[in-house]
Amino acid sequence: MTTHSNFSGLPRYAGRSLLWLALLLAMVPIVFLVITSLKPEGVTRTVPPTWLFDPTIENYSSVLSTGAGSSVTFGRLLFNSAAVSIGAVILTIAVAVPAAYALTLKEFRRSKGVSSWILSTYMFPPIVAVIPLFIIAGNIGAIDTYPVLIIPYAAFNLPIAIWILRSSLESIPIEVQEAALVDGANRRQIVWHILTPLLMPAVATAGIISLILSWNEFLLALSLTRAAAKTSPVGVQEFTGLYGTQWGNLTAASCMIAAPIVVCVLVLRRRVVSGLAFGAVK
Amino acid sequence: MILLLAMTVGPAIFLIYSSLHNIQMFGGESRFVGLRNFQELLTDAGFHHSLLVTLAFVAIAVAIELVIGVALAMALAPKTRANGVAATLLLLPFAVTPVVSAMVFKQLIDPNYGWVNYYLSKVGLLPQNLDWLANPSTAWIALVALDVWQWTPFVALIILAGRQTLPQECYEAASVDGSGPWQTFRYITLPMLTPFLAIAVVLRSIQAFKTFDSFQVLTGGGPGDSTEIINLGIYRTALQSFQIGAASAVGLVFLLILSALVPLLLRVVGRNAEPEKG
Repeated sequence: MTTHSNFSGLPRYAGRSLLWLALLLAMVPIVFLVITSLKPEGVTRTVPPTWLFDPTIENYSSVLSTGAGSSVTFGRLLFNSAAVSIGAVILTIAVAVPAAYALTLKEFRRSKGVSSWILSTYMFPPIVAVIPLFIIAGNIGAIDTYPVLIIPYAAFNLPIAIWILRSSLESIPIEVQEAALVDGANRRQIVWHILTPLLMPAVATAGIISLILSWNEFLLALSLTRAAAKTSPVGVQEFTGLYGTQWGNLTAASCMIAAPIVVCVLVLRRRVVSGLAFGAVK
Repeated sequence: MILLLAMTVGPAIFLIYSSLHNIQMFGGESRFVGLRNFQELLTDAGFHHSLLVTLAFVAIAVAIELVIGVALAMALAPKTRANGVAATLLLLPFAVTPVVSAMVFKQLIDPNYGWVNYYLSKVGLLPQNLDWLANPSTAWIALVALDVWQWTPFVALIILAGRQTLPQECYEAASVDGSGPWQTFRYITLPMLTPFLAIAVVLRSIQAFKTFDSFQVLTGGGPGDSTEIINLGIYRTALQSFQIGAASAVGLVFLLILSALVPLLLRVVGRNAEPEKG
């Protein structure tokens, strides 16, 4: 318990009030988003802002039932987002687990250099990859398909995922494996029955980080999709022009996009923060 | 790993190739132009401008986030129930999809209907019809505010996690020696938090260099080209005017500049992520 008080008396109360004020300010955009999405169309953009109204879910149902202004319905956009994100998570984990395991093996002499190199690819700005991806995908006719998003997403998630898994693997004491060897287990059995179960929490962390990053991704989705594989962040951004003043629909759609990730982050908050910091903070 | 290799080295080779050529997306064959793309780039005032604003954006946003983040983490350090609630609330902005938060900000600062203009002009802090995005300096305030809103929680939570690992004994010793709150913070907390501050700064800087969503949604680089950061510039050159060669040259230069951050990243994350030392 760290309950000592650095500050006492008046400065302390001033500090606490400032803290709560800051948090209150930070909540304004979220309050705005949720409230506007529940307002009946017509009072969404009044001056002064309307605070008393009958909450309605008509915005949600209208967004889901009608098209999102383009050739694609909003339900389809959400489905695309989910398909692409889940695909990317599966691919990320499928590649990251063997890669992380390889990096921890003694035989992997140069693994220090390889790990550093993997970490440094986190620097690679997606915008720089967009140009070649756009041209390559165009040449093989892959624009506007799921794989053209899934593969790059997985690639961009890999540095974090491998790093998280590697730190977790290295923290498993070597004695555990030695004990299994003594008991006559071969390497495959060790991997399957000893390491895999112990690695599950790290796999969950890496998976949730990949899911969040893929779901929220905008730049690649904007550049590489047109309609069939368009994801929801790109789709909702187009609402502004197409829907003119229908802020109810826009905010309802935004809520539906943000909600799954907000829930994930709140439920798994420690994992998410430590994961995004490459496991550098516990 | 092969995938990663293909995804990073492949595009890089392609970029080098196309930056040396004069590729136009539609019509016209590509031909070798040597270093002319780079020559034009390095003498181009627009590129200097966007490089400068990108650096300024990263420096200012990360500095503000660090200061507020440290302050928040210090306030939240005692493990009380109220602080638990506060830390959870703090996570909300960070969890919202970036495109969504950019659109919400755009509505909040709308000159005609936005809450910000309405309430601030009510208390006399703003002229009622201030159009934030029509003026370069206010557009920058909006962009930095959005970034600070979205990412300060991340910084605060890293530092908070660090703060809670610090040994209690140091604080007891300090208070026995008659150290005041500011002295304790300056000479004990801050030095011991240095590794965590470094993690926060390096990760945030990298993320800030990659910022694209908020600029695209909020200003689109405008007014004029005042908020056209490099990311946006590359996007527009490549996918709107289809000058692939020129855009590749920018991308390559940007990549080289960012590479300067790699050793920092390796030092900070590479060392601290070793489980036995973490």
